[in-house]
Amino acid sequence: MANNYEFTPEDLKEIETIKAKFPEVMPATLPTLWVAQRRFGHVEPEVQHLVAETLDLPVSHVHGVATFYTQYYKEKMGKYVLDVCTTTSCQLCGGYDMLHYLEEKLGIKAGETTKDGMFSIQSVECLGACGYAPMMQITNDVYVNNLTEEKLDEVIESLKADKMPEFESVGMPQHTERS
Amino acid sequence: MPEIFIDGKRYEFEGKPKLLQFILDNGKEVPFFCYHPEMSAPANCRQCYVKVGTPVQNRETGEYELDENGERVIRWFPKMQTSCSMEMTDGMVVHTQETSEEVARAQKDTMELILINHPLDCPICDQAGECPLQIQTYKYGPEGSRFEVKKVHKPKRVELGPRVTLDAERCINCTRCVRFTEEISGTHQLTISSRGDKNYPITAPGMEFDDPYSLNTVDICPVGALTSTDFRFKARVWEMNQTPSIDITGGKGTNVDLWTRDNLVLRLTPRYNENVNTHWMPDEARMAYRKFNENRISRPSIKADGNNQIKTSWNNAIETFAEKLEAVKPADVLVLGSAHASVEENYSLMKLFSTWGVSDFHFSPDVKEGFGDDFLLTDDQAPNTNGVKALGFSETSAEDLKAAIKSAKVVVLLNDELVDRGVLDSEDLKKPFVISLATNETETSKSTDLVIPITCIAEHAASYVNVEGRIQRSLPAKETKYTHRKLDLEMSEGRLDRYGTNFDNWVNEDNKVDCTPIWELMNNLGKRLGLSVQFGTSREIMDEIASSNSSFEGVSYEKMDDENGIQLTGMNKEEVSA
Ligand code: SF4
Ligand code: SF4
Ligand code: FES
Ligand code: FES
Repeated sequence: MANNYEFTPEDLKEIETIKAKFPEVMPATLPTLWVAQRRFGHVEPEVQHLVAETLDLPVSHVHGVATFYTQYYKEKMGKYVLDVCTTTSCQLCGGYDMLHYLEEKLGIKAGETTKDGMFSIQSVECLGACGYAPMMQITNDVYVNNLTEEKLDEVIESLKADKMPEFESVGMPQHTERS
Repeated sequence: MPEIFIDGKRYEFEGKPKLLQFILDNGKEVPFFCYHPEMSAPANCRQCYVKVGTPVQNRETGEYELDENGERVIRWFPKMQTSCSMEMTDGMVVHTQETSEEVARAQKDTMELILINHPLDCPICDQAGECPLQIQTYKYGPEGSRFEVKKVHKPKRVELGPRVTLDAERCINCTRCVRFTEEISGTHQLTISSRGDKNYPITAPGMEFDDPYSLNTVDICPVGALTSTDFRFKARVWEMNQTPSIDITGGKGTNVDLWTRDNLVLRLTPRYNENVNTHWMPDEARMAYRKFNENRISRPSIKADGNNQIKTSWNNAIETFAEKLEAVKPADVLVLGSAHASVEENYSLMKLFSTWGVSDFHFSPDVKEGFGDDFLLTDDQAPNTNGVKALGFSETSAEDLKAAIKSAKVVVLLNDELVDRGVLDSEDLKKPFVISLATNETETSKSTDLVIPITCIAEHAASYVNVEGRIQRSLPAKETKYTHRKLDLEMSEGRLDRYGTNFDNWVNEDNKVDCTPIWELMNNLGKRLGLSVQFGTSREIMDEIASSNSSFEGVSYEKMDDENGIQLTGMNKEEVSA
C-alpha cells in the first residue's frame, strides 16, 4: 500500500522508547497508535499500515487493535471530537437534548464532521461520570460536566478560539465540606 | 501413574494433557467450538464448561484428607472451568454434562448467549448438516430463545479473498480462522475487527485473504460464516457421498475426501493423516475436482483426416492399437509411463509391454523448482514420482525424450500432459503413431493419433508413492459406464444413490464416463496380441507387485487401509529431492 503518511524522526524516537519498555513488540501497538493519532489526528487504514510497518507487525493485528478501541479514530475526524454520553444517567438528565442541541448548532448529525473540519459529534456510551450527567468528552481528553445549552455555547465558542475548556474537578458528596 | 476421575470413572494419564482433548480421546464428549487440537486454546467460546475439583492434601504429609466416610475431600473450583484449557493434575475430579445438572445448565446458557445474534438460517446455510453449532445446539442447547428484540446485523457475502466468502452474522467469533493464519499458515492475514456484538473476522484494510491455504479456514469454521466461494450453494452435505482418496496435484500425497453427488465430484476436503498433512490441504489441490468432471475423454477416438479426431468403438481402438504394434518391432516402440498415474497403472502398462518385448521404459518427471514450501506444497507436481521410479521407469529429460520419440515408430503415452506442461511440442508427436491413454482432453491428447480413455483417481482404487516414500491409495468415488456402486463394495453409497432411481430428474447418465481402468485395457490388448498376461483387480495387481518388487515388499491394500499408508523402506526424503 502506497503510504502518504510518515512519522517524524521525533515520533520514531518516541516509538523506540516505547518498544524498549516491553520484552516483545506486540504490546507496543497501543502506545504507537497513540503516537500516530496525535501526529495525524486519526489512524485511518493508511496510518494502520504505517504503524504496522514501523513496528514490523502484521497489519491485520494493528487493524484488530485499532478497531477494538473506540478511542482510536479510524477515519478523519474534526479537530475537536465531541463525545456526548447518551447512556442511562445522562439520557435521563437530558443527554439526548444536549446531543440534538449540538447537532442543530453545528448543522451536522452524530457521526459527522463539520465542513470546516473543526468539529465531529459522536453519541457514546457511559464515560463513567454519571454523577455529573449529562456530560461529554472532548477528543479523548477533557470532560465537560453538568451540560446545559448555555454551557455548550460557551464551550463551542472557546473551542472555536482554540481554547480547551478547563478540567472541572467535581467533588463527591462525601468530600464536599459541610458548612 | 497420575489418575483423574471423570464422571465417576477413573482414568490414568501421562504428561500434562488438557482436559477436553483427554475427554475426547477417551470416547466421551463435551461440546466445544473454539478449541482445535492443532492450535492454541484461547478458551473464548466458553462452551466446553465442566465442573472441576482437586483433592485436598495435607501440606506436611502430602496425604489426601478424608471425610467421615473415608472419601477424599474435594475442593471445587468456585466456577465452571473451560475444559479445553484446563491442564489435568493428579487426583482431579471432573463432572461433565453427563453427571452434573449444573454443567448441563451452564452449557445450555452459554449456547443461548452464542445464539442471541445468530441468524439461524440453517435452511439456506451451507454449513447445515455438518455444523457443530447446529449439532451441539440440538444436543445441548436451549429449546428456544428468550431474546425477542432485533438481532444485530453485520456484513454478509464479504469476499475476504479470491476463494473465501464471509457471512459475518453467522460468525461466533471463535477465532479459529484467525489463529489458523497466525499459527498454521503464518500469513497473519486475518484479525477480529471491532468488539462486543459487532465483531467479526476480516483482513486488514486493502488486503486480501489470498493465503495459499485459505480454504482450510472454511473447514475449521464451526459455523457457516466462512464458505468456499467455489462450492457455496452447490450441494447440501447430506446429498453427497464421501470417499477417501489422495491429492494428485503434488508430491505430498495429502489425504483427501472426495465429495460426490450423482457421479460428479463437487468438492475436496482434507482427511486427517498425522504422518502426512494432519488436518490441512493447500487451496490449489481442492480445484483438482474439476479435472475429475470436466473435459473427460469418454469413448476412444482416432485421428481421421488431417487433425480431426473422431469417436470410435472400443473394438476398433484395440484393433488399431494391436495392428500398429504388430506392424513394428518392439524396439521401435517407445513406452512412456507417468508420474501422474498410479503404481498399478504404470505396472500393468510395463508388464504387458515387457511381455511383448519392450525393454526400455521411460517417464518425464514434473518438477517446478521453487514451487514447494515447508508445508504441503512440493516442487514435485506429480503424485507418484517415487512409484514410477521404483517400478523401473527411467527418468528422462525433455531432450532425450524428443530424440527417443523421433526414432520411434509407435509411442504409447500414459496419462501425462507433456505438451501442456511444455516438455514436448505437438510437432514432436507428428512423426510416429502416438497412442495416448488419458483421462482428460488436453493439448497432448489432441496431438495424438489414438486416444483411449482411462479411469481417473476418482474412479479407481490405486496407489501412489509420495515424495517421502509413503504409499497410499484411493478408492473409487465416481461410477463409470461399466461400474456400479451397488456392485462394487468399495464404493460408498449416499442417500440419493440408495433411494434414487435412474429415472429421477436429478440423475444424469452423462456424468458416467465411458472409460476403463488401464489394467482392463491391457487385458484386452494382451488377449488380442495373444499374450498370456491377465490382470485381476488393482488390489490383486498390488499383491503381485509386492511379491515381485522388493521396493514394495509387504505392501497390500489391507495394510495401507489399516495404517493409513505405508512408509516404503529404502525411500526417504533425501533420495527424493534428487
Ligand atoms: S451456522 Fe449452523 S446453526 Fe448457523 S445457520 Fe448455519 S447451519 Fe444453522
Ligand atoms: S468466521 Fe468462523 S472460524 Fe472465524 S471466528 Fe467466526 S466462527 Fe470462528
Ligand atoms: S451515563 Fe453518561 S457518564 Fe455514565
Ligand atoms: S472450546 Fe473451550 S472455551 Fe471454546
